[in-house]
Amino acid sequence: MKSDLVLSKAHLSYWLRQLRKEADLIGPLRSTDGDIVFSSVENIHDIVADCPANLPCQKEFLFPQKEEMYKFSPKGTERPGNHKKRVIFGIRSCDVSAVGLMDTFYGGQYEDDFYMERRKNTFFISIACNRPDSSCFCIGLGTGPFLKEGFDIQLTDLGDRHMVQVGSAKGRQMIKGFDHIFRRPKKADYDDQYEANLSSQSKFEKRITLDNVRRKILAGKVPDSFWEGVASRCFQCGGCVYQCPVCTCFNVVDWKDGGAEKGIRMRIWDGCMFKGFTKMAGNVWPAEQIAARTKRWYFHKLLYWPEQSGKFGCVGCGRCTITCPGKIDMATVANRLEKKD
Amino acid sequence: MAGLASAFGSGAMTNSISEIADARVIFVVGSNTTEQHPMIAMHMLEAVDRGATLIVADPRKTQIAAFAHTHLRQRSGTDVALLNGIMNVIIGEGLVDINFVRRRTENFDEFEKVVKRCTPEVAEKITGVAASDIQRVARIYATEKRSMLFYSMGITQHVTGVDNVRSCANLVMLTAHIGQPMTGLNPLRGQNNVQGACDMGALPDVYSGYQKVADAGARKKFESAWRRKLPSAPGMTMIDMFDSAREGKLKAMYIVGENPVMSDPDTSHVVEAIRKLDFLVVQDIFMSETAELADVILPAVTFAEKDGTFTNTERRVQKVRRAVRPMYGAMPDWKIISELSKKMGYEMGYRAAHEIMEEAALLTPVYGGILHHRLDAFGLQWPCPDADHPGTSFMHRKKFAKGLGTFNPIEFTPPEETTDMAYPFILTTGRLYFRYHTATMCGRTATLEREEPECFVEINPKDAGRIGIRSGNSVKAVSRRGEIVVKAFVTDRTPEGIVFIPFHFREAAVNLITSPAVDPVAKIPEFKVCAINLVPVIPKPGERPKNHYNRKEDLKILNELYEEPEVPS
Amino acid sequence: MKNTKVHWTCKDVTRKKNGKRGELYAPVMVRVLDVVEMTPDVKLIKVEKPKGFSYSPGQFLMVSVWGAGEAPISITSTEGVHNEIELCIRKVGLVTSALHNLKPGGLMGVRGPLGNRFPVEMALGKDILFVAGGIGLAPLRALVNFVLVRKGDFGRAAMIYGSRGPSEVLFRDDLKGWAAKGMDITVTIDRKAEGWRQNVGLVTEFLGKQKIPIKEGYAFICGPHIMIKNVMRDLSLMGMPTTHIVTTLEAHMKCGVGKCGHCYMDGKYICTDGPVFEYPELKKSGAF
Repeated sequence: MKSDLVLSKAHLSYWLRQLRKEADLIGPLRSTDGDIVFSSVENIHDIVADCPANLPCQKEFLFPQKEEMYKFSPKGTERPGNHKKRVIFGIRSCDVSAVGLMDTFYGGQYEDDFYMERRKNTFFISIACNRPDSSCFCIGLGTGPFLKEGFDIQLTDLGDRHMVQVGSAKGRQMIKGFDHIFRRPKKADYDDQYEANLSSQSKFEKRITLDNVRRKILAGKVPDSFWEGVASRCFQCGGCVYQCPVCTCFNVVDWKDGGAEKGIRMRIWDGCMFKGFTKMAGNVWPAEQIAARTKRWYFHKLLYWPEQSGKFGCVGCGRCTITCPGKIDMATVANRLEKKD
Repeated sequence: MAGLASAFGSGAMTNSISEIADARVIFVVGSNTTEQHPMIAMHMLEAVDRGATLIVADPRKTQIAAFAHTHLRQRSGTDVALLNGIMNVIIGEGLVDINFVRRRTENFDEFEKVVKRCTPEVAEKITGVAASDIQRVARIYATEKRSMLFYSMGITQHVTGVDNVRSCANLVMLTAHIGQPMTGLNPLRGQNNVQGACDMGALPDVYSGYQKVADAGARKKFESAWRRKLPSAPGMTMIDMFDSAREGKLKAMYIVGENPVMSDPDTSHVVEAIRKLDFLVVQDIFMSETAELADVILPAVTFAEKDGTFTNTERRVQKVRRAVRPMYGAMPDWKIISELSKKMGYEMGYRAAHEIMEEAALLTPVYGGILHHRLDAFGLQWPCPDADHPGTSFMHRKKFAKGLGTFNPIEFTPPEETTDMAYPFILTTGRLYFRYHTATMCGRTATLEREEPECFVEINPKDAGRIGIRSGNSVKAVSRRGEIVVKAFVTDRTPEGIVFIPFHFREAAVNLITSPAVDPVAKIPEFKVCAINLVPVIPKPGERPKNHYNRKEDLKILNELYEEPEVPS
Repeated sequence: MKNTKVHWTCKDVTRKKNGKRGELYAPVMVRVLDVVEMTPDVKLIKVEKPKGFSYSPGQFLMVSVWGAGEAPISITSTEGVHNEIELCIRKVGLVTSALHNLKPGGLMGVRGPLGNRFPVEMALGKDILFVAGGIGLAPLRALVNFVLVRKGDFGRAAMIYGSRGPSEVLFRDDLKGWAAKGMDITVTIDRKAEGWRQNVGLVTEFLGKQKIPIKEGYAFICGPHIMIKNVMRDLSLMGMPTTHIVTTLEAHMKCGVGKCGHCYMDGKYICTDGPVFEYPELKKSGAF
């Protein structure tokens, strides 16, 4: 299933240009005001492949902030759907792992057809991370900086060339017909890859073992007062939820076109940090206390995810660390819990 | 703004946001910072994490107050007394920076006389804050060098709003906590670009950059640039305009991006004034309560559909760029205005936002070097007098904008309306995190709307017990002007005697009952204090619709469930 | 005859042959056949049963009205007893208000049946106590009718039903019919009311007064959160084994299939892991 190849850097843009003939090519680009975002690539040389790991996020392409589910009118309903084929270039290992978690969640007994449709049409070319941010901690979770499996294609930067690892049928599809630019790796290539991985591992500033944290919670060593302390710093901005590549909650809203009987049923991102999230009709508020809500977010990621799928609901991308105004992000809280007796 | 201008010569945050985290003392008066300025509160928490002392003066127990080392819960409307009490201690204990006072300020002697009378004990009687707390805060604030003072609407929205601001200015001058990094006086401006609107002269008495209309030199400059004679008298404030509309003197109004029907005090008077107008134009992005009364509505574009700049609370002018095409024929505000002007016979001839900025820079000394091409990365902080100037991160270095800083002697005067037997509660109004102003925008977002679906009154458990209500009960809030019905929310966030109602809700518009009293100088309404009474609403017996289950035979069936012993088994 | 095997009818038409549904969120439009006004704010809406649709007591539907939205509504009818699907709807929000405006002949969207069912087989041959509060009678009614038509398979049945007042008592005809079939029914209202000669007080005050042996009996409970909490605790204190205590919960839901996250509670989705729970499952969480 897996196979390794080598691609000269001189041939990368040729390859991407060929792929773009079949699909929309998405990559990390610098926007006019300097932010780096994933968007459709016009000029392949504009791709900022070495941007900090956790700046852009692919979540939007699989689980959009606003997704039109059904258009309704007195004549009936219509499902718009999304059949656009996409190649997303430049996501990092942590996000590849996050996509894996999303696949588990949206699959299963009840398969989410909107997600699966997008997922089916999305191909990833990921980068074995060589530029972890100071907020990154994937290394303690095994979700990065480089992956052994779970990717379509994983690139490792070896200076003048890339190690190209093919990890799925979709990956094979992307290299098919390009024998003239790929070659088999030699021992020197593997040596360089090993070096690249070693140097990447040494760049991490945070070492967090969520397993220790989980054991501490399960052993009952974390009192509710701890979560109240965490919650007292929560601004309820929802940034952690919206930025998290694993958070999947949504709200469904019917939008009516004026007063008419036609409109759109859409789903939009929602966040469990908001008190209205669990509110029932008739003004019943089950989780009115902020402490209950922050605790639920952490418990979901640290306890229930492992219980249900054997993996943490966190990939250590560090985005919540960057976004949280109250500094109660996963890394900080986990660190405090790890040190706590 | 008027208060700060009279003391320092300009009105804006004197420090930068990035300085907050390094402050040693942070004194927050009348600002619900975590909810209303979360990004500033983030830096405040950072400072506290680094060991800074946080002092909060607010009658309500807000989230930021929970982090305070000292929380002063003064009675609403007694800020002057509180600040005078603090300054009295500073003077009495020899904590005044006398060198600064001599070199940089004037009128200290007059000021001292007034403050001398307000001992901590006197202040305690007025404010309800313990004298020992006042003393402690005075010592902490005065002895630490990197002290930052913050205030917001809790200071300004009073009849004594300007006095409150001047007292804050007195305090920072007394201790020389101004004109250095991490030391200054910082009004937190609420809405996006409200600072920019003031900077650009959207006030009745100034041109852009706070150049006085009454100043002949400034007027001449604008007259020559615009090639038209300009009036020498300042214009009317919003409150004055509605008053003269009500009197029939003002005939037409053109309202841009405001919803006074919801946001101004004493709603029924505003509506009455608007109905008296011959002609009303409203320019807005959505249909608002005010727009519903308009003769003509001009559709404007949203922030995402236009180019231009926004100026934030730390005086930073930042560029905004059009991200989406304007919809449904809406136009940017500048374009609507220049088109209108053309029709009225004056060709402005702007083609893009940066051309207007160029003119603003030319005519506005503090914006002299602020041009679109210089704003690409993180913008520039005014004052920025010329094209090479890097911008100013903290103000009033070496000298105040107006030369010497002026001490204003301020005596405490009680709020316009005080409580009595008929109206025993002080009502203070304010904002909620999940709602923005009059909800013309956020009310269209399902998730935001869900968070705070209905209006409520925050009331202390003791008061609630006294009038016999529980959380969730309906209560009628009655003032001398009107009444609204809201749900009670019993919490110790508000102290005894004070109740809080957010003003965002159309169904229970609190401004139907707020006081129309305004500050005599700044004309800011007293949203923070008015006297009201709360009356529990008991559903009348006939209010619930009768239904067929109340008929005799229905009851009989239910009663018979027991009375039929011969149940077959 | 006791101990006969109950024939279970639970065929999920929402899932296709490969065990997965094509469109998870697409409602099926069904016609409203009858609307009965039960109280000023509660209506019983009867809708046609789509072909191949089959459900069990305890399950719910995501009911939708285009333009208003979707809401989870428990099915109050019983397969084999009722020909139509019956939904008991209290007007509390946007969706339920839209449902209240429906007239016979109108259309509504349904998805389901969703969620698990009451594990009533464990009570075969045993006595059963039903405890309902307010609109909580609706999901229990499905089970009561299920049990009463299989009377031989179960022991005695009793019910305590609490209402705010006489005018809020639901399913009056059903109550009468059940009493006629030998069910011991206690109806109680919260506060005294004119003409009311029956019980006054909370349901918990009437626990243990039925001819149901607490230590061997089974209890099925539905009502407001606080009532469920108290009844479960009281029954277990009176000696009913916790595994014999079953309840069904209500929550804010947007999808009904474990995706939207709104009903997530202590690691469980009320929509897919519930809505029916046994006491031991809930006891772990702080909410009960």
